[in-house]
Amino acid sequence: MSFAPVLHSEWLKIRTLRSLPGTLLALFAATTAFSAIAGGSETSDPEFDPLFMALSGVMPGQIAAVSFGATAVSSEFHGGALRLSLAAVPRRGRWFAAKATAIALPVLAVGLVTALAALVAARAGLGDAANGLTSGEQVRGVVGCGIYLTLMALLAAGLTALLRSGAGALSVLIPFVLVVSFVIGDTAGGATDFLPDRAGQVVLYETYDGSLGPWSGLAVTALWTAAALLAGAWSLRRRDA
Amino acid sequence: MTSIEVRDLTKEYGTRRAVDDLTFDVLPGRVTGFLGPNGAGKSTTMRLVLGLDRPTSGSATLGGHAYATLREPLRHVGALLDAQAAHGSRTARDHLRTLAASNRLPQRRADEVLEETGLAAVARRRVRTYSLGMRQRLGIAAALLGDPGVVMLDEPSNGLDPEGIIWIRRLLRRLAGEGRTVLVSSHLMNETASFADHLVVLGRGRLLADTPMREFIHARVRPRVRIRTTDPAALTSALARGGHDAVEHEAGHWTVEHARVDDIGRLVSAAGVPVLELSSEEATLEQAYLDLTSTETEFTAQPQEA
Repeated sequence: MSFAPVLHSEWLKIRTLRSLPGTLLALFAATTAFSAIAGGSETSDPEFDPLFMALSGVMPGQIAAVSFGATAVSSEFHGGALRLSLAAVPRRGRWFAAKATAIALPVLAVGLVTALAALVAARAGLGDAANGLTSGEQVRGVVGCGIYLTLMALLAAGLTALLRSGAGALSVLIPFVLVVSFVIGDTAGGATDFLPDRAGQVVLYETYDGSLGPWSGLAVTALWTAAALLAGAWSLRRRDA
Repeated sequence: MTSIEVRDLTKEYGTRRAVDDLTFDVLPGRVTGFLGPNGAGKSTTMRLVLGLDRPTSGSATLGGHAYATLREPLRHVGALLDAQAAHGSRTARDHLRTLAASNRLPQRRADEVLEETGLAAVARRRVRTYSLGMRQRLGIAAALLGDPGVVMLDEPSNGLDPEGIIWIRRLLRRLAGEGRTVLVSSHLMNETASFADHLVVLGRGRLLADTPMREFIHARVRPRVRIRTTDPAALTSALARGGHDAVEHEAGHWTVEHARVDDIGRLVSAAGVPVLELSSEEATLEQAYLDLTSTETEFTAQPQEA
């Protein structure tokens, strides 16, 4: 059994579940809107980072990416859907790889477009304040943002497969992503820099002074994601469907 | 055509033994009824055949191959396990198209099986709007998608209306007539009697019977004759002379156990007993099943989780 038909099937599943394309639309709309608002607001913060200000819509927007990953997997854990899927594709590792690919590709595509739109929208408001940004920094921010959103969606997908519940995965991730970032904020250093969301978000800043750079930060997030996906795949292969 | 081979199959969930050392074959060209009370292990056995659950010991194969090793398994085996498996937000057609794509089945198969199961008119409606009977039909459509040689249906008549029950009976007979291997689980006796050629009966995970249905009934239920007369005294003495015992019933008729209608008819006619009614009482699968399970009392009235 080859990979392409399984991927095709998983892609059709995502496309034909109306809430999933809707979640990607929400990702685009929320991120762009919040970036535009951030770009238009007055700031007197001396540590103002124009790149992060432009891409700050990702902070609320990533919730949509996380929901997308969780929902795409959790739809398999209702009323025997997983049994039907695995009866059609008994190679569970291959099936889960196809599922993850079918989640990653649309999030990456929408994530890149979203980051670009957010940057453009925010720069319209920032005006001269953003003139210091080099084109290299802006490309890095947009590409990094797309990768970051993809990794977060896959992290949610892996956790959902492990916990066999989308609600379970979201109730772990959303407090993790939202609360930890807001409560601990910029003050704490050290270990919190290595949390999956904070590590990956370094790529959204023009300047960074922590232990992680933009790409090494994304690599740390990628390790978290890989761990979640492997744990999900392990659970799927080991347990009765 | 492919048969299903179950060998020494055992499945334990924790300490509970859901399937206990089962060995039987399901052969092509006939409908095998899979009987047993709820919790007897029918659904578990089906999941083990499909490789969805891992056996504790033993094996279940299809034509000698484990299910997981089949390339594009929907072309070989079609199964209905749970009518709720289709996502409520998808249309029936999209549901079948996603399944078809995974096994490289042509997309037109989705429309063909929708037509075959009588769902063509509602194919573009979301599954959430379907009745239980329509969901059953969709589950059967999914099972038929790959035109498989082996069809396994778990309680397919659940929720079907009378018309649907007649439809499924004909469908099962036709599938077997085409030489396919058909395994249908049920806890409804009369329903199973209407389509099965062969029976596999489980109780508490163990194999209780694996016989042709007619044989199963005749071995367990003795023939009985029902007779009505205006002259009970003449009837009983005539029967007594022939060595038969007659039992009177409140409704005014008599029954003769262990007797065939041909013998009793001749006997009472020769004795000149006036007869209003004379008939043989057909043994039913239900009687045979109850006879089997009453000898194995531990299998009756023991509700378990499915």
